[in-house]
Amino acid sequence: MRNKLSWFAVPYVAWMALMVVIPILIMVVYAFTTAQFQGTLENFSEMGAYTSVFLRSFRLALVATLICLLIGYPVSYWMAREGAGFQRVAMALIMLPMWMNFLLRTYSWMSILENNGLLNQFFRAIGLLELLGVDYLPMIGTPGAVVLGMVYNYLPFMILPVYSVIVKLDHSLLEAARDLGADSALVFRKVILPLSLPGVLSGVTMVFVPSVSTFAISRLLGGGTQMMLGDLIELQFLGGSYDPHLGAAISMVMMAIVVACMVVMNRFGEGEGEAALL
Amino acid sequence: MAKELIRLSDCTMSFDGEVVLDGINLYINDEEFLTLLGPSGCGKTTTLRIIGGFLTPTSGDVLFDGVRINSVPPHKRTINTVFQKYALFPHLNVYENIAFGLRIPKTDASGHKARLPEGEIDQRVMEMLEIVNLRGFEKRRITQLSGGQQQRVAIARALVNRPRVLLLDEPLGALDLKLRKDMQNELKRIQKAMGITFIYVTHDQEEALAMSDTVVVMDGGKIQQIGTPEDIYNEPKNAFVADFIGESNILDGIMRQDGVVELFNRRFQCLDKGFEKDEAVDVVIRPEDIDIVPEDQGQLRGTVTSVTFKGMQYDIIVDFYGFKWLIQTTDLSPVGSRIGIKIDPDGIHVMRKSQYSGMFGDYSSYSEEYEEISDANYGPEGEGSGDEE
Amino acid sequence: MRKTNRAGSRLLIGLVFLFLYAPIILLIIFSFNAGDSSAVWKGFSLDWYGRLFRNRLIMESVYTTLLVSLLATVIATAAGTFAAIGLYSLGRKRREALLTVNNIPMINADIVTGVSLCLFFVAFFQGWGSFARWFNSVQSAVELPERLVLGFTTLLLAHVAFNIPYVILNVAPKLRQMDRNPMDAAQDLGCTWMGAFWKVMLPEIKPGIVSGALIAFTMSIDDFIISYFTAGSSSSTLAMAIYGMTKKRVTPEINAISTLLFLSVLVLLVLSNLKEVRQEARERLGAARKPSGLERARQRFSEPRYLWVRRGLAAALACGFIGVVGFLSYVTGSRPVVNVCSWGEYIDPALIDQFEEETGIRVNYQTAESNETLYSLLKSGGADYDVIVPSDYMIGRLIAEDMLEPLDYSQIPNYGLIEDRFKNLPFDPDNQYTVPYTWGTLGIIYNANAVEEEITSWGALYDDRHAGEVLLINNSRDAIGEALFYLGYSVNTTDPAEIRQAYELVAGANRRGVFQGRVMDEIFQKMEGGNAAIATYYAGDYLSMVDNQAEGVDLAFVVPEEGSNWFVDAMCMLKDAPHQREAHMWMNFIASTEANLANMDYIWYASPNGKALELYPEWYEEEYGEPLDMELYQIMAAPAEVLERCTMYQNLDAGTLALYNDLWTELGI
Repeated sequence: MRNKLSWFAVPYVAWMALMVVIPILIMVVYAFTTAQFQGTLENFSEMGAYTSVFLRSFRLALVATLICLLIGYPVSYWMAREGAGFQRVAMALIMLPMWMNFLLRTYSWMSILENNGLLNQFFRAIGLLELLGVDYLPMIGTPGAVVLGMVYNYLPFMILPVYSVIVKLDHSLLEAARDLGADSALVFRKVILPLSLPGVLSGVTMVFVPSVSTFAISRLLGGGTQMMLGDLIELQFLGGSYDPHLGAAISMVMMAIVVACMVVMNRFGEGEGEAALL
Repeated sequence: MAKELIRLSDCTMSFDGEVVLDGINLYINDEEFLTLLGPSGCGKTTTLRIIGGFLTPTSGDVLFDGVRINSVPPHKRTINTVFQKYALFPHLNVYENIAFGLRIPKTDASGHKARLPEGEIDQRVMEMLEIVNLRGFEKRRITQLSGGQQQRVAIARALVNRPRVLLLDEPLGALDLKLRKDMQNELKRIQKAMGITFIYVTHDQEEALAMSDTVVVMDGGKIQQIGTPEDIYNEPKNAFVADFIGESNILDGIMRQDGVVELFNRRFQCLDKGFEKDEAVDVVIRPEDIDIVPEDQGQLRGTVTSVTFKGMQYDIIVDFYGFKWLIQTTDLSPVGSRIGIKIDPDGIHVMRKSQYSGMFGDYSSYSEEYEEISDANYGPEGEGSGDEE
Repeated sequence: MRKTNRAGSRLLIGLVFLFLYAPIILLIIFSFNAGDSSAVWKGFSLDWYGRLFRNRLIMESVYTTLLVSLLATVIATAAGTFAAIGLYSLGRKRREALLTVNNIPMINADIVTGVSLCLFFVAFFQGWGSFARWFNSVQSAVELPERLVLGFTTLLLAHVAFNIPYVILNVAPKLRQMDRNPMDAAQDLGCTWMGAFWKVMLPEIKPGIVSGALIAFTMSIDDFIISYFTAGSSSSTLAMAIYGMTKKRVTPEINAISTLLFLSVLVLLVLSNLKEVRQEARERLGAARKPSGLERARQRFSEPRYLWVRRGLAAALACGFIGVVGFLSYVTGSRPVVNVCSWGEYIDPALIDQFEEETGIRVNYQTAESNETLYSLLKSGGADYDVIVPSDYMIGRLIAEDMLEPLDYSQIPNYGLIEDRFKNLPFDPDNQYTVPYTWGTLGIIYNANAVEEEITSWGALYDDRHAGEVLLINNSRDAIGEALFYLGYSVNTTDPAEIRQAYELVAGANRRGVFQGRVMDEIFQKMEGGNAAIATYYAGDYLSMVDNQAEGVDLAFVVPEEGSNWFVDAMCMLKDAPHQREAHMWMNFIASTEANLANMDYIWYASPNGKALELYPEWYEEEYGEPLDMELYQIMAAPAEVLERCTMYQNLDAGTLALYNDLWTELGI
């Protein structure tokens, strides 16, 4: 039976090679060649000019991930303590926004954050703007708006894995800890927190990776002034300056940095069980 | 001799209006090995959790050393628990699991939080590892241990805190038979060595009889009987206890006078007294207390319908006037043969009628798997208490 | 103590939900807006829902999205399930190695996956092209297509590729938990191996398959980035259509379709939840309760003798689905087609319908964001266009790089209607490649209510007094060109020092925070809503902004005194375009006077068709019953004295273009 079944894996392996491995290899080839496909390292040496974009991307993504963690963890934790009905409804509510396209939801934020948008209109109505002596509070086009967009879009990706780990925690472990003398704070610190670490790690990955590479969010909420790695890459492929070789090189470096971060992170949380994706 | 340590007085517990414990009265002595025995759903685990502090009884009191501790949280009780599936911390190794309780800062009398020094923790953990025979395993991960080893870690983790009482919730349920027997002896040895109270929950009557000083038989959220293993076996209080502990033929009888009980319209001598004249009673006759005699010498006469060889003895099913008895004997009587039986007065035990009367039929459906079937019959948790209403 | 604790945590959960749902509720509310703003409420109306079904772009993208998601989900679920089963019968070591590879698409940033797939497809197409050419040259029995482009197939492949890992991830745990004994038992009881697989294994792992399929479908629906890089030009998903629109103005029709999709999912969720809750209640109450009528009907329906009814229904549904898909693909596929790429809101959609009716040719109308974007699209092999409408300087570049096909003007009799001053312009001196589409000027658009003085100079763009209120145009040629005008240099200069000086002017203002953002079509929404005070854009677009300006906003347009750019956008045909006959027909149709009139009225860009230009004021009066505001007409079709101070962009040499590119990227970082 075993051998017969393992044949099922063959087409899959071929498919993975074709659609996952080869495309990445082609990208690597592009990264190391010029437009005439001659070997070069120029694409990488040119990248020094974009250090500030790298720094901005990683900084904003890091801030967004932290905020997601700070909001997402307590929410997951509290949700896991509620009754089954509450949990079911809450989960559905968290999944539901994904069915409305993220571009639209982000666009909706634009109309909230604009200089003449709903929030500023609201501030004006309550007299806050007059109090501060300004016409509007600048929100759109700031790094804060981009971070908000990231937190808004990727918060569910933090809540889902953390929640699913916490809710599956064996209740008797918590009882055992209390039985051994730990009060609620200690139970949380010594048992719940370390055991939910795999969920946190996968949540962090699932928020950080799309954040660092986004281009739509920074385009819409950053007003083009907050260029991120994603914008830079898009610019080289379908944007204003066409240079797929440079784009491939940037993608590769970004990928390498992200993978390195993740390896370090997983080392840090090693042996905390398998990372529970989704 | 022994001093009372824990007392449950009139404890009742209900979840969502469903009563799972109904007026439990129980005291537990210091250094006693007490077993809560009963089918699943009988309330034994609930009782244990009340003592452990994981549940607060709906009404009634829990006293520890004479002090009411109803609302004292588990981490403030000098009671530790060995959980059903051990509940070992998967993110910690053996050593750290055992040291878990020791590493928690304790508030001393002056309200000062104090940590145990590392050296003392190390010494106590190593000592415990010695006691449970796990020296050299301290760096192992929990997942790398066998069931028996996990069991020992769980015991060590609880005992290292030097509790006054250790609660064990079906701790051997997940082990195979051989390991179970070894661990039974091991637990008994540890209890003697440490000199503390063990409260043990099981549904396995053999285990209960073998290990305990006192057995508490429970069903339907009520205590059916408290006594030494011998008492429980020899003098069951009602049909439930008689049926649950060991094999028994339970018959309807009428107490004609002190020392005389009538079964199948025949009078038998017995040792029981204190019943009303002509009171309807349940009569228990253990299969090993029945002697087979030639047909004409018997007090009752019947036909052998089935014989099973059990190694030490034969299990024979005999039909007496349409009621099938189980008899354990060393002499073979072939199927279809007519036999007579004799029962000594001390082989007959008379009980008052109870709600369980008539619930346990004869042995007409007896098979080799009888034990398993009877166990399975008790159904899932909660059902037993539900029936009561 | 504990109670208040819980109330507190619930309050915070509630706040998080408010945060998650506020923008969504806003979107839904504004789908019922009578106006077309997404910030100003003008009364309740269901108008947009009606219009939605008539909007071909949106309906087609919804269809593409649903089709791709469904197909990708079905394929990925089947493939992923078998793959997971296969993986779990491999040895531990090999399985783990493969699972690591399996995780790559999930852990990798979407943009990297998208980009690598895009490069892969393009490389494959090139390889295929040379193979097909060789193959066709050595034999003539089978003709292989030589030119493959990104499209629905590549989009589907990409979706399947990123969906499979999610399916495997969901099926794998079920396989891990699965007891293998029942499989053996089934075979012991006489099942064939296959029978046991269907009857025992599949039901066992079904929950995993279902949740895997659900997640795959959700991911497909929500995906934008990977689609963006792999769909090419001929098929766009809803997300891509929305992205195209977010740059300009999201029409409330999009709000409407999103609301519909959202509500249908909501209803499904509520129903399935209710079912579960009811089932639980029933279990708790026991069977004592009388079943309701609906339940009785369902019970009856699930009796074995109704098996054929159920099977028939399922078959009918399946046939229906296949039929709809088939019909739609027939409608969209089999007719002759012309692929047009233009700019956003740059055509009267009625013209497309009219052309389709008259000729039976289907118009696949796409838009690009800017000349530079269009160029990238063409270069990356993602485009399958026949007709494009680039601006003058880009046409020069495309001609120089041999990317355009000379036109057969005998097939375009309406070319004769184009005024002579728009022919033989420097970008196409012999007029071999182009049919002019529109022309206009670049100028400053400003909100007169937000600026104290009248603006006449480009200098206003770099003025600190307007800090945070200026929108910089997001294309290098215009942005640096404006500075060149301001400095008094030629806008077509190739002197690096001059260009650098112009750049420094822009960069300095950028550093000082004068610019609120770098935008293209976002200008519409920002200027109309009064969210910025000054921007530079094209005359025609100014006019449509005026039409939509919010209360308290008073937009004005000026061609600065230092001079500005005047431009011609012209239709061209791409080299080796597959539908050349249709392309010529399209160009001829658009060049006609009627089409030019309709277009001018719709997009407010001046027409190169002399007759149309002349007739327009008259036509307008007839159409709307009021005279045309001649001031606006003058802005649209700039009079000679304005055109005098305007220059046309010319294509620059490669070195200068590279300098532009580098400076432009430098500005962004």
